[in-house]
Amino acid sequence: MPEFDAKKVAEAHQHLHSHLPSESALRVKTLETLLEQKGLVNPATIDAWVEAYTEEIGPRRGAQVVARAWVDPAFKARLLEDAPAAIDEFGFLGKATAHLKVVENTDSVHNLVVCTLCSCYPFSILGIAPAWYKAAAYRSRAVRDPRGVLAEFGVEIGDEVEVRTWDSTAELRYLVLPQRPPATEDLDEEGLAALVTRNSMIGTDRDLGGSA
Amino acid sequence: MDGIHDLGGKQGYGPIDRTGEDEVFHEEWEGREWGIAQCARTPGITIDWWRHCRELILPEDYLARPYFDSWAQTDFSTYIEAGWMTYEEIAAGKSLRQDLDYGEPLEAMNLQQILDEDRAHAFRFDAEIDTPPAFVVGQQVSTQRHGHGGHTRLPQYARGRVGKIHAHHGAHVFPDWSAEGREVHQHLYSVVFDASELWPEAADRHDRVYLDLWEAYLLPVTT
Repeated sequence: MPEFDAKKVAEAHQHLHSHLPSESALRVKTLETLLEQKGLVNPATIDAWVEAYTEEIGPRRGAQVVARAWVDPAFKARLLEDAPAAIDEFGFLGKATAHLKVVENTDSVHNLVVCTLCSCYPFSILGIAPAWYKAAAYRSRAVRDPRGVLAEFGVEIGDEVEVRTWDSTAELRYLVLPQRPPATEDLDEEGLAALVTRNSMIGTDRDLGGSA
Repeated sequence: MDGIHDLGGKQGYGPIDRTGEDEVFHEEWEGREWGIAQCARTPGITIDWWRHCRELILPEDYLARPYFDSWAQTDFSTYIEAGWMTYEEIAAGKSLRQDLDYGEPLEAMNLQQILDEDRAHAFRFDAEIDTPPAFVVGQQVSTQRHGHGGHTRLPQYARGRVGKIHAHHGAHVFPDWSAEGREVHQHLYSVVFDASELWPEAADRHDRVYLDLWEAYLLPVTT
């Protein structure tokens, strides 16, 4: 059982720095082999988790929720009031979304989500976070230079628009509700969901393409 | 701790690299590590202890090695610390001890079972407590000026600053103590800061930064 001994962990990191093979694939293979031999993991279950997050659970879930919010004002109200219950109407409540909060973009507000201290992300509704979300450049700059970050993603924000950055420092997770693009009255929910990008639900995308 | 992980507002990390942003996993080992983290037995390890162990990775490794590699390294360190894995076993690449009881063998789970399991992973961290919240929505608060050497979720960039209570979320597990194995619930708030309060170059911007902060990180502002 853990003794919560940070000194011991720091020593372990020093040791592993010098003694583990440098290739990540070999490190993870060693970890999996040891865990399997000790009965701490079943490799077939790992396969199923990978399949679940490759094939089933990903940002298309979030896009469906956003599209529903665009066409159904009552659902949108529920989503903004109690997001975990609202996404559970789709069966999407799951890993890291029990304390989900939805923040809405408007003409005068743009929302951006980051985790400066680690890499918190609403897994069951957006899947695996993109690498940039977990890297130092985004984590360091999103709170300090959000407009510069957005510009790198091709998003220009006018001075009249307030940028709100949400730093996920607790177990709450944030999902941005982007604005419905203009001239999309002819699209059904499925067609609307196809317009919703993963980045727009993190906040690094803003103006979604309408029907051409 | 004032570690390498506390990146908010740090400068010099350059432009954002969006390479491969539409791939779920870039290499197979990343998926393996992700899966291990979802389903491996972790004796008595809390999420906050695991996060602290990740923060303790050497800065050069933390910044330079691939993201999921840091998960594997964190896993190794937590198992070593808990006495469930040894340096000798890692060097040998196989289990050398039979004297520990790791429990019943784990049965394989299929995709449908995993989808159910994901739903079961909607863990809540809040609870009712007897203590009433110290702050109300709209109230001005300041943050503690200093952190401490353990795990904490008050980033350096938001210390000693004045903000406003935006929302109260009830009482959530206090991470600083959860990382030491103590589960105590404490009132949690979203606190909003003007960008100009945090950054000198933001003086003429009306942008805002929201953080979720526990009561122990906050002090009343007397006006």
